[in-house]
Amino acid sequence: MANSILLTILEVILMPLVAFIVGLFMVLMMRKLAAKLQRRVGPPLFQPLYDIVKLYGKQTQISHGLIHDIGIIMAVGGYVAAEALLPVPGMDGIAAKGGLVTLAYLMMVPSLGLALGVGQCANPNGSIGISRALTAMLAYDIPFIIVIFGVAYHFGSTNLVSIIATQQAEGIAGWGISEMPILAIAGLFALHASLGKQPFEIYIAPAEIATGPMVEMGGKFLGGLFVMQTFQLYTASVLYVSLFLGGGENWVTFLIKCFAVLAIPVLIAYLFPRYRTEDLIRLVWKWPVMLALLGVAFVMN
Amino acid sequence: MKSTDLDRIEVNPKTMPKRTNPLANVFDDLVRFCRSRSMFMLHYCTGCGAIELPPAMTSRFDMERLGIQPMVTPRQADILLITGYVSIKTLKRVILTYEQMGSPKYVIGICSCTVNGGMYWQSYATAKKLDEYMPVDLYIAGCMPRPEAVIEGLQQLMDKIKNDQANSWKQYYENYDYYLGNQQKLFGNNWQTPTDVIGEAEIYRLMGPQTLGEHTKILQQVQKPMEPLEMKL
Repeated sequence: MANSILLTILEVILMPLVAFIVGLFMVLMMRKLAAKLQRRVGPPLFQPLYDIVKLYGKQTQISHGLIHDIGIIMAVGGYVAAEALLPVPGMDGIAAKGGLVTLAYLMMVPSLGLALGVGQCANPNGSIGISRALTAMLAYDIPFIIVIFGVAYHFGSTNLVSIIATQQAEGIAGWGISEMPILAIAGLFALHASLGKQPFEIYIAPAEIATGPMVEMGGKFLGGLFVMQTFQLYTASVLYVSLFLGGGENWVTFLIKCFAVLAIPVLIAYLFPRYRTEDLIRLVWKWPVMLALLGVAFVMN
Repeated sequence: MKSTDLDRIEVNPKTMPKRTNPLANVFDDLVRFCRSRSMFMLHYCTGCGAIELPPAMTSRFDMERLGIQPMVTPRQADILLITGYVSIKTLKRVILTYEQMGSPKYVIGICSCTVNGGMYWQSYATAKKLDEYMPVDLYIAGCMPRPEAVIEGLQQLMDKIKNDQANSWKQYYENYDYYLGNQQKLFGNNWQTPTDVIGEAEIYRLMGPQTLGEHTKILQQVQKPMEPLEMKL
């Protein structure tokens, strides 16, 4: 009994660390793919790590207040907590006790944390950026929740461990993507929107609102956001793999699936400019929501 | 700050506390290496610089393979890239931008305009030498230097950072009186920036004998405290 508790604690510590390392390579892949699309060489292998170490090594005595500091901790902490609920091969953590609903809830915490923090720095670009970020969250969360509902209804469970076990027991024919292809497409759409990449990049928009929420962030604050980005990419792709691609039988297939899932939105992203806010909401509330509802209708039939 | 406060500030630099961690040097080397391999740059481009610099960033010459990428706000940036002439009006904005960057920060002057005024030497509205107003780490001369020269210059800066020689940001604190004097000569004695440079110098322990002087005395007489903007709908 005590042994299993110790093992769980060890897993809960290890899972975010693994997520961070995999996430660093995901950031690298994203930047490399962007470079290849633009016929450039792209950054070296350890570039994401150099950036983070450099940002944490910067000196600053600027403070925007306590809430600003706590906001960054919430933003990173929300994802760190989410990693403990995402089963990976060999480690389940507390996934069996948390379930999909808790996970969906935790994935909203970072945006709210950022909203708290950026609100205090009183930069108009930051306020515009964070209001856009929350609007975007409102847009992509609706298809996301419908997709999660459909998957949970299909497998008769919100427990990610049992969802993955069911899919793996039946092989490729039992994967979510072959049983619920329409929901899988809607899910990919929502995943792309949740990453905040072009054409859904409304709240970063460097040329328009000077990177929005990040406008006053320098040094350690920006470093925190870079760490958050590694977790964000990891969480989104692992959740998609768990719901639709049968999770991971072992680390090799698991990582191949995760990177492949992430490559799709990234390859699309760097070919597009940016939507306006109202166009984004119109688009996301129309097509992925319609697809997801259609998918749910098929699942419930 | 009243002028009587001037006497209370210790002018002699406080020494840094001695480092007891045996791995401190290794750690410093690592941080310096990462600094040299990851430089976020903020480019202040006027005239020809705005046209000639993008090729250095995009497909043909690709700065990202050296870890250099453009950033949009001074808080996020490490390098301030000034290409082309700075007029007296824009120099104010350049100084505001420079003071808002987090340390360590590096300034690169590109084009002969930043070295000695270039073809604007006779202009009454142009600041001739950039390093009279802020410390410059590196000049890349030329009118306008080709992307190869720009990247060569950036690689020299990388080597300087790696060898701990790119410390000119400290000079701004140590010789603040000199830089402020030159700024006051151009902008008048009422010149002040929102950043409290003297306070920062104290926190960084970079107060030198040249930090305070007659020009900072003038600043302290005219300085108005920063107040939050009034919220209006």
